[in-house]
Amino acid sequence: MIPDAFLTIGASLLQAGGMLAAAPLLRTAIKKMKARLQNRQGPPLLQGYYDLAKLIRKEPVRSETASWVYVAGPRVYFAAAVAATTLVPVLVAVAPLEAAGGILLLVGTLAFGRFALATAALDTGSPFGGMGASRDMTIAALAEPALMLGLFAQALAAGTMNLGVLVRALVQQGPSWHPSDLLAFAGLFIIVIAETGRIPVDNPATHLELTMIHEAMVLEYAGPDLALVEWASAVKELLYLTLLVNLFMPVGIATSVETEALFVALMAWTGKVFLLAIAVTVVESTNAKLRLFRVPELVSVSLGLAFLALAIRFL
Amino acid sequence: MRSNAATVAAALQVPEEDIREGRPGELVLDVNAQALPGLADRVSQELEGRLMSLFASDERDQTAQFRLHYVWSLPRFQTFLLLSAPINPARPSFPSIAAKYPAANWFEREVMDLYGLVPDGHPNPTRVALHEDWPDGAWALRKDFPEDRNVPRVPGDHHPFRPVTGEGVFEVPVGPVHAGIIEPGHFRFGVAGEPVLYLQLRLFYVHKGIEKRFERLPWRHGLFLAESISGDTAVGHALAFAHAIERLGNLEVPPRGQALRVILLELERIYNHIADIGALATDVAFTVPASRAQALREGLVRTQDQVFGNRLLRGTIAVGGVKRDLLPEGREVLRTHLRAFGKEFERLIALLVDAGTFTDRVDGTGILTRQAALDLGIVGVAARASGVDADLRRDHPHDAYESLQFKIPVEDGGDVRARLMVRAREVEQSLEILDQILDSLPDTTCATELPEHLPPRASALGWVEAWRGPCTHFVATDERGEIARVKVTDPSFLNWPGLVHAVPGNIIPDFPVINKSFNLSYSGNDR
Repeated sequence: MIPDAFLTIGASLLQAGGMLAAAPLLRTAIKKMKARLQNRQGPPLLQGYYDLAKLIRKEPVRSETASWVYVAGPRVYFAAAVAATTLVPVLVAVAPLEAAGGILLLVGTLAFGRFALATAALDTGSPFGGMGASRDMTIAALAEPALMLGLFAQALAAGTMNLGVLVRALVQQGPSWHPSDLLAFAGLFIIVIAETGRIPVDNPATHLELTMIHEAMVLEYAGPDLALVEWASAVKELLYLTLLVNLFMPVGIATSVETEALFVALMAWTGKVFLLAIAVTVVESTNAKLRLFRVPELVSVSLGLAFLALAIRFL
Repeated sequence: MRSNAATVAAALQVPEEDIREGRPGELVLDVNAQALPGLADRVSQELEGRLMSLFASDERDQTAQFRLHYVWSLPRFQTFLLLSAPINPARPSFPSIAAKYPAANWFEREVMDLYGLVPDGHPNPTRVALHEDWPDGAWALRKDFPEDRNVPRVPGDHHPFRPVTGEGVFEVPVGPVHAGIIEPGHFRFGVAGEPVLYLQLRLFYVHKGIEKRFERLPWRHGLFLAESISGDTAVGHALAFAHAIERLGNLEVPPRGQALRVILLELERIYNHIADIGALATDVAFTVPASRAQALREGLVRTQDQVFGNRLLRGTIAVGGVKRDLLPEGREVLRTHLRAFGKEFERLIALLVDAGTFTDRVDGTGILTRQAALDLGIVGVAARASGVDADLRRDHPHDAYESLQFKIPVEDGGDVRARLMVRAREVEQSLEILDQILDSLPDTTCATELPEHLPPRASALGWVEAWRGPCTHFVATDERGEIARVKVTDPSFLNWPGLVHAVPGNIIPDFPVINKSFNLSYSGNDR
């Protein structure tokens, strides 16, 4: 009999490792689909891994005015993203570290990573870092409550804040078309777009420093530092999509650790995340980026949707 | 009916015999420098003149004097008016008109930088064309300054940026080296949070001394240099230079050559406008139309390569005509391509203006009012988007334009949307022009024979409404008939101040799209 602690640690490592391994593929897949919609070939599917490998081999170039805060930023951001993956059920209806906490811990962990990166962006004193940090924080101040409200609306359905317990309850319940589900999903989808820095909120592909939000924060980073930031962002994106599919389309999730169930769960998860990735691609390709001051309006819409979803649960 | 010269003389209150019609469409008046401000008032008020260029030349070897030249466009008379005034080297200064006519601001400072002639009463008489690390007293365009002289750099960085202060106000320096493949230029924003309070420019990082270089080149070789002034305006600048030489040498371009020049100039307009429209979409992250526009441009430049032997139409203009004829097969290729292009282009514009997320970004962004455009002497696309109805193709017709039917699109908005729409409408007009001219190419030779020498001690103005706006070249010859002075005016030089006025009041992340809607040349500006 293996002690529970080892089991938890093993499952955590496995899940974090799996998410780290899969995340670059998601980003490249979205890039590839965007390119196809523009009649371009796009990068090869493994480009995300090549880029990370290239960055890791490079020498980190750091500003002379940078302090330890600057060096710590990407590391904390990366650690927070990896830690967050253990708080969410992915293939199995259990989150490896669900005993540690639920929705609040997840949102808090991600917010901590963001805080570390924003502080690091301010550290060099470059105008772009400050600009990016202030913009990112402005949006986060609205997006985080909306994220929490949206998750709460789902939590109310099962009466628990623990994501593991919640997903198990949802799996038992089966797919639901309750208006509250639809509203919360719409609200959270907008948040995912905003949090992952995608059009219409931010443009991950731009070279125009003055328009950047997330990219402006990390403009100074190079080499392995940049690799950590990029990788963590990719993991965060995969994590958000996983959260969405498992909370709103709880189909195919394994309730036991048998090989067959795990295989079905892997297929189902890949398929569902891919469907959401297509949705993200379509949104990115059919919209221009919003004027910066319109972004809070969009995020407020999602806040409104999440609030409605929550209110309907009480009816 | 009175002649143009008589009407102009009456308005300027000078004797009619003082005004020479140097060449068709070019009136010349020699005046005293002290009379310049008064004349500027009369030209601007009575004749609705617009300042197109202002420059000096060094004639100390002939007349022991410098000479100042003011080029005014008088669209009402379809003529240019060149006011020219001698300046005594012992008292190297002239009265400034920049306070009243901001279009003269950079021109006068450039004269000061390159000739050491000081504009008296200029509100901000600091360096513009040369940076502060260039030593005082090294006046590069004076004849006694050898072309190959090495000038030691003055150490230190002492550019006087105007400080922007206040609670919560800070400065954002951007450039001179930018992300992406663009030329160098420094922008300094004074911002309160995101809104821009004030924008300062520092350009001329790529000043190459092109005007000086012209003076050492045989006149037949000048065309190659003219072509390289701004890579995206190869036809425009080459043609303006060719016009100046042809007018100097009284050369008549055969009708077929004139028609082919119109084709080249309009193709240059189309490929640049479509690239700009695509770039505007790129800047607001509207990816699908952006790549469609890129594909359209690429298709067009490949056809240009096939038909004229060069993607960006370099090496197509010759002094006296064009270098390469358009064969019947080439004409068919071009016609077929342009027909398909026109249909695709229409769809692209519909895709852009029907998308709310796109129009929301461009409507009301970066407004340059009509009054500001008039006061600053803005030209070309930027002027027409601010309701200023001016286009050299109609106002001072060159090549075959007089015989063609086309409209000059003008928009009133003065915003990014208006500049986009002027470009879109101009592409449509260019397609019309090409349609007309491809149907009726005259059957003559493509170029005229060139003389051995140009007339000595003569000068002439060449002008072209290129895609960005008017390019003017003033060429003067020395006693051997070789080039003594070339003054190149790129529309960017006149339009950069327009950007400075369009940006404040907008937010910083909207700057790139405003900048792109002007799309000014650094190289053409800096020369």
